[in-house]
Amino acid sequence: MERLIRKAQELAGRYGISYYEIRIIRVTASHLTMQNGQLEELAMNTEIGIGVRAFNGAWGFSSANDMNRAEKAVETAMKIAKLSKGDSRIYLGDPIVDRAEMRPKRSFLDVDIEDKLALVKEIDLLLRGDRVSNRSVHYGDGLREGFYFNSLGSEIETVVPRLRLGFSVTAKENGEMQSYWKSFGGTAGWELVEGIDLGHWTSFVREKAISLLHAQSPPSGEFPVVMDPELTGVFIHEALGHAVEADSVKNGDSILAGRLGERIAVEELTVIDDPTLPGKFGSYVYDDEGMRARRVEIIRDGVLVDYLNDRETSAILGLEPNGHGRAQGYNYQPLVRMSNTYVEPRDWSFEEMVEEVRNGLYMIGDKGGEVDTANGTFTFGAKEGYIIENGEIKGQVRDVALSGRILDVLRNIHAIGNDLAIEFPGYCGKGQWVPVDDGGPHVLTRALVGGLR
Amino acid sequence: METLIGILERENVEWELYWELGRGGSFRIERERLDRSQRKFHSGIGLRIGYRGRLGFSYITGLNHDRKTLEGFVKRTIKLARVSEVPFVGFPSPSKVPRVEKLYDRRIDEIPFEEAHSLAEEFASRMRELKEESTTLSGSMALAVSTYGIANSNGVWLEAKGTGMSVSAYAVKKDGKTGSGSYYQAYRSLQPFEELETAIISAIEEVRLSHSAGKMEPHSGEILLEPEAFRAVLGIFLENLSGDSVYHGRSRFSRLGEEVASEGLTVVDDATVPGGVGSFPFDGEGNPGERTVLVEDGITRSFLLDETYARFLNLRSTGNAVRDFRTTPHIGTSNVLVAPGDENLADFNGIVVRKVFGEHTANPVSGDFSLTVELGYVVKDGKVVPFRDNMLVGNAFQFLRSLRGIGRKIARKGSFYSPRVLGIARLV
Repeated sequence: MERLIRKAQELAGRYGISYYEIRIIRVTASHLTMQNGQLEELAMNTEIGIGVRAFNGAWGFSSANDMNRAEKAVETAMKIAKLSKGDSRIYLGDPIVDRAEMRPKRSFLDVDIEDKLALVKEIDLLLRGDRVSNRSVHYGDGLREGFYFNSLGSEIETVVPRLRLGFSVTAKENGEMQSYWKSFGGTAGWELVEGIDLGHWTSFVREKAISLLHAQSPPSGEFPVVMDPELTGVFIHEALGHAVEADSVKNGDSILAGRLGERIAVEELTVIDDPTLPGKFGSYVYDDEGMRARRVEIIRDGVLVDYLNDRETSAILGLEPNGHGRAQGYNYQPLVRMSNTYVEPRDWSFEEMVEEVRNGLYMIGDKGGEVDTANGTFTFGAKEGYIIENGEIKGQVRDVALSGRILDVLRNIHAIGNDLAIEFPGYCGKGQWVPVDDGGPHVLTRALVGGLR
Repeated sequence: METLIGILERENVEWELYWELGRGGSFRIERERLDRSQRKFHSGIGLRIGYRGRLGFSYITGLNHDRKTLEGFVKRTIKLARVSEVPFVGFPSPSKVPRVEKLYDRRIDEIPFEEAHSLAEEFASRMRELKEESTTLSGSMALAVSTYGIANSNGVWLEAKGTGMSVSAYAVKKDGKTGSGSYYQAYRSLQPFEELETAIISAIEEVRLSHSAGKMEPHSGEILLEPEAFRAVLGIFLENLSGDSVYHGRSRFSRLGEEVASEGLTVVDDATVPGGVGSFPFDGEGNPGERTVLVEDGITRSFLLDETYARFLNLRSTGNAVRDFRTTPHIGTSNVLVAPGDENLADFNGIVVRKVFGEHTANPVSGDFSLTVELGYVVKDGKVVPFRDNMLVGNAFQFLRSLRGIGRKIARKGSFYSPRVLGIARLV
């Protein structure tokens, strides 16, 4: 390592590079998947690779997964930066020398593969039942050990364990088919698995899939919608989160560009992105640019107060850097990304919220979403829902996606619940996949519902 | 590779090696400036071991290792096969693979990085020239070359080399109102500068439409889908033709020969299209790339299959095993071709949807979808009125049965080839 640090210094001098950073990452991972009692994948692998970024007013990047090419990657990145010569700027700051290890209670590296297999089999057995045409179980864990250094003199070692467990059921009856699923995950060890009430959650998922067989398609049009904490999570991630990632602001792709300090939502709304939440799936201590992760208030009492930044956007927009430059792996350049994004709770109870609705929907669960940050339109899917009539929850509905315009829907929030939950681990794609978490309390707003009725 | 095979042949196991070696250069333009340039290298070997009906898999990065590392790699994978319980049904046997033309362009393989970089600079510079008031342009360009190979204990030994290029442009117009337009295309050969220019011009044309688009009144009835929008709806259907979904009860279909679409609809998966972005001479297990009719005149004719699920279902592999060295094969499409129909839908009068997003929120087994319209337009008496932000709502299976017309002219987006199609859906 010492040799590589010296070599990088020497090459930077030769190519006239003002700033560079090098990430060497080793991931030790295991994956198991099972369908209908049949094991489909059992893999245990370790991968190591290097990613090098050099800055010369524009970025040059090179990566390799063959460590014999490490020096070559350093030189290539610097050559590209020298060739590029742009007019952009970046935040530099003081060097950081640190070692940060997220220590789980029980490392999954100490758990035999046989025990992981036994877990997957147990869940598969628990998911069995009448009308169940498919049972799927997925377990994955990975220990990411990173060594980061840059031309400022930063040297940061990080160790982050991440684990995710998910299972799903597809139910079938009279030609109708429906699925339901549940995921658990965190920057944690085997204790996360041990804390799950598998009996409860497997029957929950199975019964939901079966009940959806008899659910109707929802009506279509604009309706008041009560979102459960999981759906609030994907909603705020899509409706707000992507538009405050400052690379889209910098590039002119965000509807929220130039609006810092403006009231863009109802006064009750406060939204946070916090990579420092202990144990959450989107948590980390340092980002992939060697910046310390920081809790960010995005919206405080309805006012847009900050964007999520990386080294480049904070310099260009004149904002405090907040450690949101994240990369999928050593072979990707960091981009501005969310971590754990949530809506802060207020004082409404769920029952009070439902009572407010004459003709609307109660929508539950995250089926993913997508956003067009430039036009300010987003879509997000719910796993299931219920009709609300005159303040009462009625029949179940299925297969629902909702859509809205970012600014309208943030202003249309009518009530924010008192029941915060941030426990919906997933991956967010933006050309690269990174682990994130999101959540909030129940929230009542209006959205366009795309049902078949 | 020879050393590794030598080690494997001393073991009493069945084995398969999949190796890859590649490099790529890509360029990202932001606000008409070349902001990020990169050059990446990757290589690695995936090893599958079949032992007493069980399968083990692991991989290593890099191709050049000492004997001790390779011995450890083999030992580890055999150990995994012993505990894995993943059923092993056998690897493919050698068969003749087709010669698929135009998958490799020496000019991409040999282009100096500096030259590719200048091309990207020129792309950015042309954006600055074509840029209109209150519009910002961004985009990307990428070039790649890769070699992949497969060998197994049945005597398969194959290696192929391919190249690729992709181009994208994105335009945002903001002056109180906002609009966006985008263009993406991929190729196997180095493209002339005109293709980069086409990308910019297409994105600008689209941003003009998007900028003046509003929401349309709800509508139920005939809607024309352009290829990009149809791809989203057809994709929901195609998930049900994947052999693993069929075998594991996640598909609506359990047998072939079902009438699933209007008579005129024929959908083919074809890995042998010359110069096709999704083409390959052999798949990730060494089975030949093929032309597979999935739907013929509205009737299902084949599932998409790799070796494993073909054997489970007592069928023959269709050469649709997709993978990289880090993964075991899974089933995927190559090029998807929707056959042209006999309608001239070029000058269609009515509602046209060009782009939608959110298809991953759709339910593949029920087929219900509600997608946000990124861009659509209504054509009436030669006048074009754009719209967006409505939701396109329907059921993929019903939509395919409702087709009233299939256009004659095929357009390509990456590995998807399709005409315009006219069917029944709703806009809310």
